[in-house]
Amino acid sequence: MDSNLASYILQYAGYLLEGGLVCYLAGSSQWKRHRATAFYVSCLLVAELSRVYALQKFGLRSAQYLSVYWTTDFLLVISLFILVCLFFRRACLHEEKMWRFVRLLLVFVGVLVVGISGLTFSHNYSHLFLRFVTEFNQNLYFTCLVLNTLLYLLLQQIESTDEQLGLLVCGVGIQFAGPAATLALLHLTDHEHFAQSLGPSFIRLCTVVMLLVWAYAITRIKEKAIQVSRSKNPILAEVTAD
Amino acid sequence: MIVAALVLILSTALFFFYFQVTCQKILRRQFDREYFQSIAIANRLEFPSLRKSLEEFGTPVDYSRLRMMLKCDFLALTYLLKNAANVNQRYSHEERLLILYFRWQFLSLAVRRLLRAGENKAILKLTSVLQYFANVVGQRVNAVKFGNLTAADYLLNL
Repeated sequence: MDSNLASYILQYAGYLLEGGLVCYLAGSSQWKRHRATAFYVSCLLVAELSRVYALQKFGLRSAQYLSVYWTTDFLLVISLFILVCLFFRRACLHEEKMWRFVRLLLVFVGVLVVGISGLTFSHNYSHLFLRFVTEFNQNLYFTCLVLNTLLYLLLQQIESTDEQLGLLVCGVGIQFAGPAATLALLHLTDHEHFAQSLGPSFIRLCTVVMLLVWAYAITRIKEKAIQVSRSKNPILAEVTAD
Repeated sequence: MIVAALVLILSTALFFFYFQVTCQKILRRQFDREYFQSIAIANRLEFPSLRKSLEEFGTPVDYSRLRMMLKCDFLALTYLLKNAANVNQRYSHEERLLILYFRWQFLSLAVRRLLRAGENKAILKLTSVLQYFANVVGQRVNAVKFGNLTAADYLLNL
């Protein structure tokens, strides 16, 4: 199959899934519980529709499309970071002490990424916004991949029984890791034809897989009260209460 | 260059890791009862005995026979998934993902065989996918009433 055709099919499948997921969450009573997911999917949908609109109106090589593309990319990466933060919050729902530490860590990581990306200001004065955004997006994207892996390890550590969250995190992991590997391959092969033709399709495929995994997690996994296997009341307190 | 290579290696490893974890999480789904046994008996599937022999004795059977057994069971079950008591006559998304996972594990079995490392682990993963498929088929067949026919009778008449 022509790689462009595959890419278009995956692109439209992605729009349908995003729209379907947003409608499902809006129509069901799960909006509040899945606000992080709904927020990110809505951002994804709005960003992609804006890009399509700009592409149709101004054309691929126009400055307007370029600015719409990079601005939406910037907002999407920030929404990804917020999504990971909200997943951390959900994981630490019954672990207030841990959440205080995690919150500090997330703020520190966010500031660090802005700081490192800000270094571009020091040695380049042309196309400042574009250079900063490109650098910032790359850094924050890879940071989110690492944070998501840490979140997965945290879920294992606290033996969380929130199966839905586990699957949501795995979906995000696929969405992060696939494109990161593809972009690194593109960079290493110096944008060789085969990598360049397969890259966009694979990135879209990862988005579709993430949306499918999320749809499965939200619709099929029965909602359980989030329990953490650790006892909430320490044994000592129970003994002394008697 | 080195950073890009590191990112590529790390991201690829993480991609396969998340893919595997996602599939295993889907496979952990609890069914209200074990439907797979009746499906295996009705269709003369061999994966339950293969799994049992591996868990009890830890010794796999002849490799070429093992591959054939797994492949035949896989073909039979994917056919049933698509056609037995399935109104849409197509796989669901998670089934497609698990089919992909099965093929990947099948490839990994061949590689493990060559390297002589962790062969039994791959076989157990393959049988767990087959068990899941059999459970799904059993649950679907069980949900549909066919007069006085049992799930096994229905499948024998298919």
